Amino acid sequence: MCPGRPGSDLRPSTGSALLQPPAPAMASKAPSPSASASRLDAPVDPPALRPLETVPVVKDIANVIDAFKKQVAADRAIIIRKRIEENRRELAGVTDKIFNSSKQRNDHTNDNITSNGVDLLTKRQEDALGMQNGIDANNGDRDSDNYLEDAHASTAVLLGSSIPVKNAVRPIKLPEVKRLPPYTTWIFLDRNQRMTEDQSVVGRRRIYYDQNGGEALICSDSEEEAIEDEEEKREFLDSEDYILRMTIKELGLSDPVLESLANCLSRSPSEVKARYEVLIKEEKNVGGSKNGDNEETSQTMSSFLDKDLDAALDSFDNLFCRRCLVFDCRLHGCSQDLVLPVDKQPPWSHTNEEIAPCGPLCYRSALKLVKGATVSSPGSGDPEEKSNPSSNGSKSHVLTRKKSASSSDRTRLKQCQSESASSNAKNASESSDSETGPRQDASARVLSPRKTKSAGKGGLRKRNSKRVAERVLVCLRKRQKMMASDSDSIASGSLLSGDMKLRSKLQKENEDAASSSQKKIKSPVIRRPRRKDLTIEESHNLVQGEVPDAPSSEMTIDPPPTNNNDTSKKEEFVDENTCKQELSEDRSWKALEKGLYEKGLEIFGRNSCLIARNLLNGLKTCQEIFQYMNCSENKLICQGGDAANLGEGHPKFDSNGNMVHIEPRRRSRFLRRRGRVRRLKYTWKSAAYHSIRKRITERKDQPCRQYNPCNCQTACGKQCSCLLNGTCCEKYCGCPKSCKNRFRGCHCAKNQCRSRQCPCFAADRECDPDVCRNCWVSCGDGTLGVPSQRGDNYECRNMKLLLKQQQRVLLGKSDVSGWGAFLKNSVSKHEYLGEYTGELISHREADKRGKIYDRENSSFLFNLNDQFVLDAYRKGDKLKFANHSPDPNCYAKVIMVAGDHRVGIFAKERINAGEELFYDYRYEPDRAPAWARKPEAAGSKKEEGAPSSGRAKKLA
Amino acid sequence: MAKTALGCEPVVGSLSSSKKREYRVTNRLQEGKRPLYAVVFNFIDSRYFNVFATVGGNRVTVYQCLEGGVIAVLQSYIDEDKEESFYTVSWACNIDRTPFVVAGGINGIIRIIDAGNEKIHRSFVGHGDSINEIRTQPLKPSLIVSASKDESVRLWNVHTGICILIFAGAGGHRNEVLSVDFHPSDMYRIASCGMDNTVKIWSMKEFWTYVEKSFTWTDLPSKFPTKYVQFPVFIAPVHSNYVDCNRWLGDFVLSKSVDNEIVLWEPKMKEQSPGEGSVDILQKYPVPECDIWFIKFSCDFHYHSIAIGNREGKIFVWELQSSPPVLIAKLSHSQSKSPIRQTAMSFDGSTILSCCEDGTIWRWDVIAASPS
Repeated sequence: MCPGRPGSDLRPSTGSALLQPPAPAMASKAPSPSASASRLDAPVDPPALRPLETVPVVKDIANVIDAFKKQVAADRAIIIRKRIEENRRELAGVTDKIFNSSKQRNDHTNDNITSNGVDLLTKRQEDALGMQNGIDANNGDRDSDNYLEDAHASTAVLLGSSIPVKNAVRPIKLPEVKRLPPYTTWIFLDRNQRMTEDQSVVGRRRIYYDQNGGEALICSDSEEEAIEDEEEKREFLDSEDYILRMTIKELGLSDPVLESLANCLSRSPSEVKARYEVLIKEEKNVGGSKNGDNEETSQTMSSFLDKDLDAALDSFDNLFCRRCLVFDCRLHGCSQDLVLPVDKQPPWSHTNEEIAPCGPLCYRSALKLVKGATVSSPGSGDPEEKSNPSSNGSKSHVLTRKKSASSSDRTRLKQCQSESASSNAKNASESSDSETGPRQDASARVLSPRKTKSAGKGGLRKRNSKRVAERVLVCLRKRQKMMASDSDSIASGSLLSGDMKLRSKLQKENEDAASSSQKKIKSPVIRRPRRKDLTIEESHNLVQGEVPDAPSSEMTIDPPPTNNNDTSKKEEFVDENTCKQELSEDRSWKALEKGLYEKGLEIFGRNSCLIARNLLNGLKTCQEIFQYMNCSENKLICQGGDAANLGEGHPKFDSNGNMVHIEPRRRSRFLRRRGRVRRLKYTWKSAAYHSIRKRITERKDQPCRQYNPCNCQTACGKQCSCLLNGTCCEKYCGCPKSCKNRFRGCHCAKNQCRSRQCPCFAADRECDPDVCRNCWVSCGDGTLGVPSQRGDNYECRNMKLLLKQQQRVLLGKSDVSGWGAFLKNSVSKHEYLGEYTGELISHREADKRGKIYDRENSSFLFNLNDQFVLDAYRKGDKLKFANHSPDPNCYAKVIMVAGDHRVGIFAKERINAGEELFYDYRYEPDRAPAWARKPEAAGSKKEEGAPSSGRAKKLA
Repeated sequence: MAKTALGCEPVVGSLSSSKKREYRVTNRLQEGKRPLYAVVFNFIDSRYFNVFATVGGNRVTVYQCLEGGVIAVLQSYIDEDKEESFYTVSWACNIDRTPFVVAGGINGIIRIIDAGNEKIHRSFVGHGDSINEIRTQPLKPSLIVSASKDESVRLWNVHTGICILIFAGAGGHRNEVLSVDFHPSDMYRIASCGMDNTVKIWSMKEFWTYVEKSFTWTDLPSKFPTKYVQFPVFIAPVHSNYVDCNRWLGDFVLSKSVDNEIVLWEPKMKEQSPGEGSVDILQKYPVPECDIWFIKFSCDFHYHSIAIGNREGKIFVWELQSSPPVLIAKLSHSQSKSPIRQTAMSFDGSTILSCCEDGTIWRWDVIAASPS
């Protein structure tokens, strides 16, 4: 069996090999242990440079190759010797240590013995030694008799010595301990698991040892199946590279050389040639590669961010199970087909107003600063005018809201003020007069959404906005004077504390806003030395062409502002303007960040706070996202053309001022579809139900079908994989909810899900709260809130597997044979007891495994559906120990739970506490082992012990 | 197994005996009619280095090797269950250093016999089927590990009677486990092999707190939170048939299948991805006529040499740590014809014991130490 070493086989040819040119080069290296290490470093000239005098003869080639092979083998032997020597030295230290500890044990025990008095093993030892020496052997015996119990009286017996032997040592009895019924160590599973690939016995050589026959049997079907030669592409080993290189170096690159090399390495000549070219290239690159390495490492650092979203999500898509909502799902496995539903959920809308800025870099706080700066620009501070600013603000607010001022509004306003006040205080590090400043901001801010909403309403829009603009303008003018100093300080404070990017941005915005709103109140105060990059003139010019009410609209709309393109062209313009200025920043958005942003829009709508916090944390600030959002928005708008198009497909503000972004086309379609589904009545004649019923009737003949979600993007047609497979579409399918092939669940009223009147129950399915209308689940103890109830106040009884509402099952020694499962508490008829879990294996695999299980006469295989068999041999739960009985008290049922088939065990009758559980394995009559046959059928003769062609599997 | 790649060939020992040492039979005794499956010297306690134990049938016997080839019977234990057939025995000791004999067999019950008091100390019930091998942790000799037909390996504390860990499950053995061994220096590591043709290396590093906890456990042993170790750190497909014996040799592993040879190989693990890695087969020690399973080899205390019996009652003694391996001696006796299930080498390798299928124990003593 030992694989021949090439060197030893070819010993006779060694001499001739040494005569060949390679010999000297080799000989210099051969004895040194570092030969192997220096192999790759050896400089090799490209063969082209070597003049090929003659094409070498095949025999010579063989000799050369053999010589190198011998070289490799010698190197190998040296390495092994070195490693074994190293290991030996290490091990010597270890054994010495162990030896010392065993000696210590000795010393300590001696101490103990003096205190304890008795160590019979030592005593026997001494006795034996004494006996052998013939000294006081008998006396010793007598002594021991004297002071020891009878049980300890027996002493050593010498064998093989000349001294006569006593009868025998009296054996000490070890009291019997009942052995357990045999079992294989198994792992508890609370849900089925799909077999992992490496657990398969298919294609493996299996040898079964038959305890009774005392023989080992090979259980794989045939030898060729057992050893499937994998035609994997083997990597070239260092040693192979060495032979390859050296040989070609010596003999040049020619076909016969390649051929014999290929022969020697058992590869194809082309492979060898390709490898040689790679080697040559590598060698050339050795020098230059070092710099490259460094660069690579630095590149890998940010490689994650360089990917786009799809690439970054690749592992997520592969590892996350969208059915179980866990990573690394053991049931559905990795790399499932990605089924994305057509129906998109509406973006998440949060109920509580999150008006408070999400952090120091929130766009809200940034905008406040803008406002402050704007206001401050006139620079004519008038500290005396302390006319109640907040009341002013609220007044203007009330006015603009078309006399719909209510007390609640006011309170809310106050809250907002205080909130923003605090946040402002945070941002503007040192504002001496933080009270008045923020308040004004707040009032202006609260104003705008309201106004926007009203403005959004059709024809009134323009007038409203004008009126509002006027009002606000008046208010602002009044207050601007008194506020100037405060807000100035705020702005400067933030400028100092904020980072460079933010600052420049703020400045630009300030410029814009200031110039647009204050175009007639040009004042040198704005021209602070810090803003030299953008002159007032420029900004002024930009705005010059605008309609007169530009400033007011800018002002009112400012807070959640620029995105709110309320048909006013100037605003757009301003936005565009900022957009241009931000262009450079847009470019800094990486593909991944853009991808994340898109996702964020889908999930949260146009809420930059949430997007920043949840998706782009640490990558982009809220403000940056906000600006990006506006820019991309504006680009769209610019492309879209005039204002008429803006009404649709535009972010809408709900009454709370939160933005709800819905993509226009999608939204309308979604609503339409949803409406239609609602209108659809559940009828027994609907297509889906028909197929189910059909399946139920078919079930007697053939097992149920495994469900795999289809990826139809429209209502399922003839190509739908579910339809072709004969299963219903489930909630995991890609198809829309209106799909005719969907199982629609039940809408049972009180108590009905327990009988066949419930369509779910009748179809051997559990109810699904996602699908059925009235089946709901209450969670926990109610401290987390009760879900909104649907239908009557009734809890569905057909969700026990889903909710794991099982009975306590005990494991014990069966009254019948081996282990048995027992019930802890009594249950009534048809009560769900528990699930029979196990490994999901294919039928082919089950047949293979079954061969051995049948021999052991214990099978834990359970037919699940047309694709899978459950094997509870190594993984399962206690119910796998429930024994077979032709007159059982339980029954098993395959039930579809959320797209998966599972086996539930139910009580067939009332079962009392402590009773053993039995169910009918329902082996297929001709395959059943003798013990499982029905009494009348048992007589039918079938030679026992011989493995039947089909395997015995439990059937539901 | 796939063909060995060029440049990775193992060094195979030559069967021509070097006659470095010569052994001769100094004693032979018939213990009973039933096969003897295991014999082992006590390497745990230096007082008892010349004491050994054998098991066969329902009997555990403790002997002592004396000068001049004399063997003294010190103690004998009989399981009252006549069905019991012990397959393996090992020495261990209590925390107070009382010597224990630990035996297990077909019943799957591990018997902890207090040899210092000549009575049963504990019986470990838990394995679902027969026990094929028990080994003791040399650095902490109250820890034992057992390999069982129930496809699991279990770690026990003989002091407190606790089953600490179960090495089985998703990545575990797929058939009977036939052999297991503690790493000599790395306390966390064990290697096991069995009828699924694989050798698996396990690490209990992550579970070491449980091992420590087991020493101080005062509650009922059954209440101990026994943990499953489901995934080995390394699976070695070295053999293509039953692997019935494996031992650590430093960081290398010695293992044998039914292919008439013992293989020394190095597990090359990838630290980042447990379970993966490659095997480098370093040396092979041919053992002719050793093609039945359940034949176990043994080494002397310092792992200088290794002794293994074969199907025909012959013993091969190899120098273990030389390269290429040297056959020290080939022991044969005209009356020794029965398969030798296990050998035992004494502390310094001067005495070799063999226990045979026919219930005999043979003692071989070295007659002339080699000049080297």
